[in-house]
Amino acid sequence: MSVLPFPSFLDDIKEKGLKRAVFDGVNEVVERITAGMNLQDIREALRGEAPSRKPNPRLQPHADGFWLHMRPSYFHKSVTGVYPEFRLGWLSTYFVFFETITGIFLMVFYTPSPEVAYANMLTIMSNVPLGQFMRDLHRLGAEAMVIIVTLHMLRTFLTASYKKPREFTWATGIILIFLTYFLSFSGYLLPWDQLALWAVTIGASMVEAAPPEIVGTNLNLLLRGGPDIGANGLLRFYLLHVLAVPALLFMFTGVHYYKVIIHGHSLPPKEENIGEDTAKRVPLDKRVYFIPDVLTSEIMWIAVTTLILVVLVTWFFHAPLENHADPQVTPLGTTAPWYFLWVQGALKLGDKVLWGIIFPTVLLVFFIIWPYIDTAPSRRWAHRRIQLTVGFVIMSMLVIFSYMGLAEFGVVNSADTTVMYHLTKEPAHNQVGTLRPIPFEELQAGIYTTRQFEALDESEQTTVVNAFNAELEMVNTDGGRAIAEDVLAYLGTSQNLPLSSLEVVPVSSSSRELREVVEGFAHELEINENELHNAWGLIIVTDVQDDLKRIDVVIRWEDVELENGKVVFDEAGEPVLRLDENGNTIPRLNSQHIYIHRDSQYFAAPGA
Amino acid sequence: MNLQRLLIQKMEHRIIVGTVAFLAMLAIVGWIAINEPGRMAAFSRQYSGRSIERGAILFSNNCSTCHGIDGLGVIGRAPALNTPYLFGHDFLADISLELRTLGFEYDAEGTTDVRKAEIDARRAELEAEQATRVAQMQTALDAQGDYDPTAPGRLQNLGWGGTVRNYVYTTLVHGRPNSATYWPQPMGAWAQIAGGPLRNDQLEDLTNYILNWDKSEEWTIADLNRVRQFPRTPVDGAQFAGLTGEPTVGTDVAAILTEISTLQGNIQSGETLYSTLACAGCHNGGAVGPATEGTWTRASELRLQDPAVQALLPELTAQAYVVHSIVLPYEYLVAPYGPVMPATFGTTLSYQQMADLLIYLQSQDQPIQ
Repeated sequence: MSVLPFPSFLDDIKEKGLKRAVFDGVNEVVERITAGMNLQDIREALRGEAPSRKPNPRLQPHADGFWLHMRPSYFHKSVTGVYPEFRLGWLSTYFVFFETITGIFLMVFYTPSPEVAYANMLTIMSNVPLGQFMRDLHRLGAEAMVIIVTLHMLRTFLTASYKKPREFTWATGIILIFLTYFLSFSGYLLPWDQLALWAVTIGASMVEAAPPEIVGTNLNLLLRGGPDIGANGLLRFYLLHVLAVPALLFMFTGVHYYKVIIHGHSLPPKEENIGEDTAKRVPLDKRVYFIPDVLTSEIMWIAVTTLILVVLVTWFFHAPLENHADPQVTPLGTTAPWYFLWVQGALKLGDKVLWGIIFPTVLLVFFIIWPYIDTAPSRRWAHRRIQLTVGFVIMSMLVIFSYMGLAEFGVVNSADTTVMYHLTKEPAHNQVGTLRPIPFEELQAGIYTTRQFEALDESEQTTVVNAFNAELEMVNTDGGRAIAEDVLAYLGTSQNLPLSSLEVVPVSSSSRELREVVEGFAHELEINENELHNAWGLIIVTDVQDDLKRIDVVIRWEDVELENGKVVFDEAGEPVLRLDENGNTIPRLNSQHIYIHRDSQYFAAPGA
Repeated sequence: MNLQRLLIQKMEHRIIVGTVAFLAMLAIVGWIAINEPGRMAAFSRQYSGRSIERGAILFSNNCSTCHGIDGLGVIGRAPALNTPYLFGHDFLADISLELRTLGFEYDAEGTTDVRKAEIDARRAELEAEQATRVAQMQTALDAQGDYDPTAPGRLQNLGWGGTVRNYVYTTLVHGRPNSATYWPQPMGAWAQIAGGPLRNDQLEDLTNYILNWDKSEEWTIADLNRVRQFPRTPVDGAQFAGLTGEPTVGTDVAAILTEISTLQGNIQSGETLYSTLACAGCHNGGAVGPATEGTWTRASELRLQDPAVQALLPELTAQAYVVHSIVLPYEYLVAPYGPVMPATFGTTLSYQQMADLLIYLQSQDQPIQ
């Protein structure tokens, strides 16, 4: 008789004993949670044994459970290996979740306002435990996802898996790749640093070019929230990044995966007869069941992939953070994010509307309708020579355009600006001015010159520098000022550097890195000797505050004739010098200065 | 290798690899977490160093014309910032402290006459020492501005309740008004929120740079004596000549030109305005904005030739160009100058003041090099 007016756990205990009753209770809970597998079933599955009861309990979670109803209960053995899928589709999905989780962590510490966004970044870096770690993971994950998704598309193209009946799956995939790029791009702006502002300005200006003008102008206003990116633009990009685009991405991921399951994973082309699609007809001996093989494999890959990412951000990768966004200061060498470099490169070909809007749109539409163009039944490479050629032509074109999109390509800066830029550049795009990483102790106040390194051997360097000093002080025969006076006047008025005299000294041999930089400076002037005729440079180190030095870079050269930024040569192959009315060369001076603090910790760029 | 099989074939191998990877990840994250305090401190140090560097550039570009590139002040224009006075360093602190302690002891009940005599002797010694130190500061005492060795803290003298940091920061935000007994030109507001050109993070950078002059206990009398210009203490209420209560000119260049065509400008008033509106602060010598001298010639011979300018002006005269530059300073910028000038003159100047300024500027039109 029951101790309670209804059958209860206590009755169970009375009947079976405590141990058995508890075990049965737990067993039942497990079976409910897994939607069909009890402890014994799980144990068997993990031991690699065949299921001991019928119907097969390992199929039950797929039939009754919510999460696994989305996954097929078995795969064809041929699609569970490395080839043909390389797990790229799975990895893309992994990154969707990975980015969501790390993104939510970052959202906690972020406010989308130009007033505080950058300060939020500093807080994440300086005052949130694991803040930098999560930011690095999120950024690395974003870059990795762009690569993985692109490779996924490439693989699908190469194995012709887009063919009937998978045309629509391919189309949703193209939409997903577009969403992935845009998701990554919209996140670019959020740190509100120089890198972000200018990369996005370049990207968003393409929207403005959309024809006709009224559409472009208004699209641009909608996206940026004003003629330029400001508070409204940041808020819009933020909402796109955390809300609108992810929502679309999840929706299309659902559709995409549903289509994948409906049609089955396409088999390697060589396993099917031409024109057949046998993905859904898997012979019994070719089945690999989701439980346990694929499931354990996926859980293992989650752990391994995450470990790889963690290792990368611990030792090899940090998300960049440049100076605060400043619409007044355009950094030299600004580029779009690397996965949009091909658009920037195409833009250098000419018309903004044609190459910035029409070309990418045509490409996108072309990709979507491609399965309806290539309707030949065979998926084998030998029968797809034309299709593969088209694919490789497009790929080569994108690679070449991306190269053309680099800041180095097709943009002419004057040689003096470039040389100074190499010396003083703020850290950006993995580069830093060579002056900045010099150890603070080596920056002894003094005036150093590139002339020192014109000496043939080291013992003569002092002599050369002394001769240079004499040259600086020499008054022109026609009554003009000494060079030193010119330089001092220039520094005093245009650079706010009041110096009493220009007494150049050799770089001390104990200042090894400073010496290398000045020597490198001399070398760069030599490389540019056509444009920078008879050039010499000064590096002037002055003490500003106890732990702060000022470094002035001065270049003096004789002006040469330039045409479209290129040096004009005479018949003898010598650069044509510009002369004043007396037939003298015209000296030019340019200079730039930076400050270096003891704690600034600039690192030489890797590989520099 | 058979690429069409599960990469790791055996179940137990998958379980081991997965578990090891997971544990390794936990270990690394734990290791990172343990090192976070050090990492965060290092980041803060590095950031503040770079912030000071940026502040130095901002100071050199925007502040050094008035405060001196070395921060020691410019005589008659603006006070030193690189000075123990700003940071409240008291060179007589040890002496004053001992004198005060001795004073209490002297007045206390039960101090014997013998002790009192000792105290008197010690006091005399200390006062002599104090006089010697003050004598060493003679250069500073002779320098421009108010410096009193017995009241050596700027903040205390002003009755400022906050720290040096927020004193400097707020000064940058809203600038300084002028008065009859203060500086000839006011300091403009530098914060964007107050109508100036700089963002908050730039003000932080500048403040960090200025505070980096503080040597705290390391200040020497020699540092004090290097100062060219000490601050002045305002005693009069501010009399800002900018606001007259008359209708202001607005930003319609054509309308302004019509209005002032009937007015006769006064060079003297124009010159006073040029100084009280702080124009000279930036335009002197052409450091921050184009030089005062030669404005008219430059306008007619260079600027008006630029099609960009022609598109902006209702008529092609130097007068129209200058009026446009005053009320709409950002519409056309001449390299290398940035958008620094306050864009508020349309809402503060009266028509008469505009006429005065124009005639003064015209009178300054000496040819320049």
